[in-house]
Amino acid sequence: MIQKKICMLGAFAVGKTSLVSRFVESLFSDKYHSSVGVKVDKKLVAVGQEQLDLLLWDLYGEDEFQKIRPSYLRGSAGYVLVADGTRRETLDRTVVLQNRAEEVVGKVPFVLMINKTDLADKWEVDEAALEELGGRGWPAFKTSAKTGAGVEEAFVTLSRKMLSG
Amino acid sequence: MDESVKPGNGGQVGAEPYPSPEDPLVELRGLLLAAEEGQVARLQERLDDPQSRAEDVGRVLAEAIAIRSRQDRSLTDSLLPTVEEAIGISVRRHPDVLVDGLFPVMGPAIRRSITNTLAEMLESLNQTLAQGFSRQGLKWRLEAWRTEKSFSEVLLLRTLLYRVDQVFLIHRKTGLLLAHVSAGNAVVQDADMVSGMLTAIRDFVQDSFGGAGAGALDAFQVGELTVWVEQGPQAALAGVLRGSPPRELRTVFAETIEKIHRDRAGDLEAFEGDAAPFERSREDLEACLKSQQRPGTAGVPRVRGARRYRPVLAVLAVLLVAAGLWIFSTVRRDRRWANYLERLAAQPGIVVTGAGRRGGRFFVTGLRDPLAADPAALLAPAKLRPGDVAASWKPYRALDPELVAVRARSVLGAPETVSLRVEKGALLASGAAPHRWIEETRRMSRVIPDIAGYDDRSLTDTDGKKLQSAQARLEARRIFFARGSSELASSEAAKLPDVAREIADLPALAAAAGREARVEVVGRGDSEGTGEINLALSRRRADRVLAALRASLPGVPLSATGVGSSEPLAEERTEEDRQLNRSVSFRPVLAGPAAAPR
Repeated sequence: MIQKKICMLGAFAVGKTSLVSRFVESLFSDKYHSSVGVKVDKKLVAVGQEQLDLLLWDLYGEDEFQKIRPSYLRGSAGYVLVADGTRRETLDRTVVLQNRAEEVVGKVPFVLMINKTDLADKWEVDEAALEELGGRGWPAFKTSAKTGAGVEEAFVTLSRKMLSG
Repeated sequence: MDESVKPGNGGQVGAEPYPSPEDPLVELRGLLLAAEEGQVARLQERLDDPQSRAEDVGRVLAEAIAIRSRQDRSLTDSLLPTVEEAIGISVRRHPDVLVDGLFPVMGPAIRRSITNTLAEMLESLNQTLAQGFSRQGLKWRLEAWRTEKSFSEVLLLRTLLYRVDQVFLIHRKTGLLLAHVSAGNAVVQDADMVSGMLTAIRDFVQDSFGGAGAGALDAFQVGELTVWVEQGPQAALAGVLRGSPPRELRTVFAETIEKIHRDRAGDLEAFEGDAAPFERSREDLEACLKSQQRPGTAGVPRVRGARRYRPVLAVLAVLLVAAGLWIFSTVRRDRRWANYLERLAAQPGIVVTGAGRRGGRFFVTGLRDPLAADPAALLAPAKLRPGDVAASWKPYRALDPELVAVRARSVLGAPETVSLRVEKGALLASGAAPHRWIEETRRMSRVIPDIAGYDDRSLTDTDGKKLQSAQARLEARRIFFARGSSELASSEAAKLPDVAREIADLPALAAAAGREARVEVVGRGDSEGTGEINLALSRRRADRVLAALRASLPGVPLSATGVGSSEPLAEERTEEDRQLNRSVSFRPVLAGPAAAPR
């Protein structure tokens, strides 16, 4: 069994905690989030014949008051950026976060989850923005913590990249 | 090597050691290197000959192995497959060789293993007993109930000085778990996530409170648990402990992480998420799972054997007492049973054919005459309860004299006043019975079963007795007359109703005794005067009384007779004697089969 450390990064209230609580295995309570700034969970992903054990470091949402600690990013084999599709500014924020992550861990695989795709009427991310991301080579997935759409796909894509990389 | 300098290959050099002068170079070489050429030829020969090369290697092989083994394990690693295969082949082809070789070590190894297992079992039994029954044990049970922990957990906490519950080997950079071991009954959560979180917390503390050069978080306390972290350059060792561990344990941790860095340097360097190579470090980690028990608690005292085995001895004592009580009660119960069987056997009309114990109960089978005593009634005197005994009786007719007598009594309808017993086969009746019963019994005695004879000589006929006394009473009656008179004086006439009643009863009494009765009224006279006159006078007197009685006694045969002075009631010496003879008396006469007075 191969283990990989990956980080989850995103602005406040983009739905990371909902993604984690519905699709991964948890042992620790959410209070570590606000105190230590990180909570470690586990997600099993099957890539072909191989089983991958993802140790998911869910980092507390970054804002101007609380910066992501670089030490938490260290050693990550990949990371997940999370944005809220109903708040355009969170997508912009992922660009900052991606830069910071790359500073610490170098060029490792990552995926972008644009969450809350179930709230179609409030959707703010237009096709142009997505095309721009595609142009930068960002693998982006529209996900929903509510319906589960796109979540597994995003994790499998990231895992495959880490294994081949 | 150059072809031209090879000796003995048929070339010019070999064929002509002293070459012709027209080749001066060859000549010069011959002059300069003649001696070395011989050496080179010998060396060449040794290298080409496999036999001599093997001899050369053989001379240094042992030393070479020793030197290499001191340097690293690669010789062992490279030999391992060959040796394993060789052993495998040997086991398949010549199992006897291996069996013979292992034989001397198998016995001791098995014995030691069994001894250790037994010692551990005794130890844990001891501990459970000691803690389970002591006051402290009860206290801990209460604590377990209160804190909702298992009793064994509380026991462990209270009897342990310290114990290393779990050891994590963590990849420092990624926080990924390389290996994890835990003590037998420690509570273990998902070690992967714990490993990550431990790393995160360490990073957090380091970032928040430790500046550059400050020491990392190497110990922290969570409730009853302490976490010790021993940091190496690539990996960290985290131990989860209970109690107060000694400082020396820290050294054990430090040495372990150093050893792992030494042994697994390459694996640590190349770690990409596959923890499999670190399985080989499990043994090192397990060596860190140390524990020490609190002095004075059970399990620890190994100093004195007697102390160590005290709980076991206590249990043995209890068992002995229990066994003693059991034996005592068994013996007592068996004696009571034997006593009961004796009582049964002594009973007339009861024959025991089988007795014993089956399914925790006594049982008895046999024959019982319905007239015999009730076997259940004999249980209480033998101090047995009805539930202790299952009985099965078949009816039969007993010939015991007692029972024959009882049966005869019921057949004959003997009155209470009669007692019956059987002696030498004969039925003996005694006591008193009515005449009619006596007569009937005599007749029936011939048909009473199991009786050879009948004897009623000791039996009194109550009807005969009554008749006799009535007879005697009547005979004693006297009606007196004045001298020369046959007239009833009024005082004498007054006696007659009583006399009449006695006479009236007589026929019935006589009939009950199987007789018939009549009464003679006998008149007398005194000896004064002539016999003739007296005889006539006596007859008149008898007639006079008879006439007075007859009126009230129509059914009784009465007759009157005068005897004069021939049968005096008293010898006449005085006037009083003479008056006695001037009288009438009564003589009951019985007829029919004379019942001998009984």
